Amino acid sequence: MKRIWRGAALGLALAALAATVLSTAASGGGKAAFAGYPRSQTLITSGTQWGNIAGTNPYTGNYATGMVGLVNETLLRFDPLKGKYIDWLAKSARWSGKKQYTIVVRPNVKWSNGKPFAGKDVAFNINLGRFTTAFWNNLYVNVKHLAVKGDKVVVTFKGTPNYIQWQNLMWNLPMINPTQASTIKSAQQLTTYSPKVPMGTGPYTVSAAGFDPTTRVVYVKNNKWWAAAAHVSPSPKPKYIIDLVNTSNTNSLNAVLAGVEDLNNNYLPGVNQLVDQHKVSTYYPTKPYMLSANTAWLEPNTTRAPLSDPVFRRALAMAMNVGQIVSQDYTHLVRPASPTGLLPTWNKYVDKAAVKKYGFKYNASAAAKLLKAHGYKLSGNYFENKNGSPINLDLSVPQGWSDWETARNMIVNSAAKAGIKITVKVKDYNTWASDRNTGNFDLVIDNNYQLSDNPWTYWNGIYHLPIIKGGTGQTFANFERYNNPTAWKLVQKLDHTSPANTKQIRSLNDKLQTILMQKLPMIPLWYNGVWAQFTSKYWTNWPSAKSSRRYVPAMWRGYLQMTGIDVITHLKQK
Amino acid sequence: MARYFLRKLVVYALTFVVAVTIDWAIPHLMPGNPVNTLMGRIQIQDPKVAHQVYEHYMRAFNLNLPLWKQYWYFWVSLFHGDLGTSILQFPTPVMSIITHAIPYTLALLVPAIALSWYAGNKFGALAARRKTLDNTLLPLGYTLTATPYMWLGILLVWVLAVIWHVFPVGYAYDPTAVRGFTWPFVSNLAYHWFLPFLSLFLVAFGGWAIGMRNMIIYELESDYAHYLGALGAPHRLIRKYAFRNAMLPQITGLALALGAILGGALVTEIVFSYPGLGYQIYRAITNEDYFVIQGIFLFIIIGVLLANFIVDIVYLIVDPRTRIGMEGGRS
Repeated sequence: MKRIWRGAALGLALAALAATVLSTAASGGGKAAFAGYPRSQTLITSGTQWGNIAGTNPYTGNYATGMVGLVNETLLRFDPLKGKYIDWLAKSARWSGKKQYTIVVRPNVKWSNGKPFAGKDVAFNINLGRFTTAFWNNLYVNVKHLAVKGDKVVVTFKGTPNYIQWQNLMWNLPMINPTQASTIKSAQQLTTYSPKVPMGTGPYTVSAAGFDPTTRVVYVKNNKWWAAAAHVSPSPKPKYIIDLVNTSNTNSLNAVLAGVEDLNNNYLPGVNQLVDQHKVSTYYPTKPYMLSANTAWLEPNTTRAPLSDPVFRRALAMAMNVGQIVSQDYTHLVRPASPTGLLPTWNKYVDKAAVKKYGFKYNASAAAKLLKAHGYKLSGNYFENKNGSPINLDLSVPQGWSDWETARNMIVNSAAKAGIKITVKVKDYNTWASDRNTGNFDLVIDNNYQLSDNPWTYWNGIYHLPIIKGGTGQTFANFERYNNPTAWKLVQKLDHTSPANTKQIRSLNDKLQTILMQKLPMIPLWYNGVWAQFTSKYWTNWPSAKSSRRYVPAMWRGYLQMTGIDVITHLKQK
Repeated sequence: MARYFLRKLVVYALTFVVAVTIDWAIPHLMPGNPVNTLMGRIQIQDPKVAHQVYEHYMRAFNLNLPLWKQYWYFWVSLFHGDLGTSILQFPTPVMSIITHAIPYTLALLVPAIALSWYAGNKFGALAARRKTLDNTLLPLGYTLTATPYMWLGILLVWVLAVIWHVFPVGYAYDPTAVRGFTWPFVSNLAYHWFLPFLSLFLVAFGGWAIGMRNMIIYELESDYAHYLGALGAPHRLIRKYAFRNAMLPQITGLALALGAILGGALVTEIVFSYPGLGYQIYRAITNEDYFVIQGIFLFIIIGVLLANFIVDIVYLIVDPRTRIGMEGGRS
């Protein structure tokens, strides 16, 4: 009997192991050509992909990390630190008239199958906007005519173009191969398109054999990349790039410490200590360590009293001890936000006089005085509503986001010092997001809009109208439900202002930030970083503020077509 | 015998229907909307386009239908072998996610269950009659069985991977490995498999060892053991009978423990970034990926029911009283 048990136990164990080996090995294509990707020629990154890799469709939000930038390139790129566009697949892409945009395709650009990239390919990609599931469909419906002549593409618009959004599209629209994408005939097919080996013009191609949706995507260097051949960019040194699927910040920290990853784009609490111990490097060698990626703000529900009162919101803003959050919660990995909330890369748009006049600083006693002066009365330690009812605001962050949870607790304490009672409400991410979208909250900490080429994306996020009542609520903007038609008209006007009209652009931006600081529909708190830590075990020459390599070190979606690709092309083998 | 199996099958079928209904209902009753999560990833700037795309996905997943219709279509699809499409990993079919993940989970679970059960029983039986072993194994067993799977996993990674660099920090294979039927790859798989396996094995081992040790002591103190002793039967023979009798509750325990071990495997996979069903279900729950949650739980339900059914059969083989009882005799 004992032998039977022993045999059964061992047999089962071995069978299960054998099944795994067979299935995993088989998904790699059976016989391997070589034992492994040589580590010294491989760049390993992580920090973008959470959960399985959905596929290679660069038009959906869950494509394999690196698809846009490494495989499918854009017509332009944007350097946020210099505030300049970089001509990329386009030799030039400019407004050539009030209602006309002209793209001239760069010569000698080739697809990975060796065929030339031409004007008709650009037209094919822009024309995919006719499908309602294309993210640029709202811009495409305003296109009157699209003419292709050789390498020149001329787009004519029906009415006043959305200048800012169109320019933004030019560095965010990935070029997919028309022959390969000829199967896209409907809105549905645009969402399900996902070739195994996508054709692109970029410096890398996807390795189908290395691709494992649960674990990694593997890119192999395209030795005939046009940009290296034309000396537009250095040829990237890594022969392979492997981007690993993220499982948790703890696992990422372990992987960084064990030298598994070269570049990690997770938020790792206390990473400053690792920098100080020279175990990893960051863009800045000392505080703030990271570049700024987006603004974290306190989002008040402006439809609920007393948060509907701009004076109360101002007092609340003055009660925020952001300095404490920056130093104790984030150990200086982030920077405090300016009262405008505009990212440091948008400094040139900041109206300093307005900031001086309407800005706010942490001052709990001044906040209490302001409330008293405007008719709010203290009942015990806390203020009450003007009608005498108690004030007790709920504040939530997604459960488990430890840095935000600490910040939340600090906010509760600092608001209490000004006599504003805030109570923590614990919500998991989905409940938090659903409540935020439908307006079922008092206060949330949030950050929605990434670094971009124009503060318009930021204003659009704050002032967007109409506010959707019922159903799914607000799905992408104005979660604070701030109803200011004047501000919204200014945002629309800004989008419809020709880039040549710099005076009007300046004036509109000034007005929008003045409204923000006066009415505070959002309370800017701090700038979240472009979380990036790199190790030099295999690769050196990483970007840094102290070198000429001032590039944004992120593999995040939307960042490679900024200067993320320059990070890779400037790396040196150790 | 046939009546026994028929009755069992009816019970299992009913359990299946109820479990699958709960499996369908729980994600649908969770607050929030999975398409919103998907939309959050797509980040469309224009509300009109956002609404169009939102509607498109709602239709694609039948989420625009009333709940009863969604439930009906769920059963219809199930009988057609269609588990739907993942929302988060659109357009990946759920079946493809499961077939990718299931070998990893089985590779952890089956050896961990089988070996821990075998070794735990063996060591438990030995401990019951050896004082030194009992003094060491008992506290160790209690410690191990009381240790949460996840905590032990984190501890093993931290000590053996991060500090000592003896084992990898996670994943099913080295990031630079090339998959194929080669010795380097197969050994690499085993190397990455070992730590998650060990954490599952150790916790389960402690439980089985304590269970068996206590059962053996109980059996050795029972009347039949004393009677055999009085008859002059050798100790070896008495222990053999005691072991056989002690095995029966352990087999029942195995059926009961399957769910707990499976739960342990799920969190262990998360700790080790091991891409099995546990990791997939964790991602699916946090992103409200209804169809993946349903699909994976369906497999788990089937697995647990099947394992229980096998245990039922094994019980028939090892316990003559059950057989005799079914044949109308008295034990």
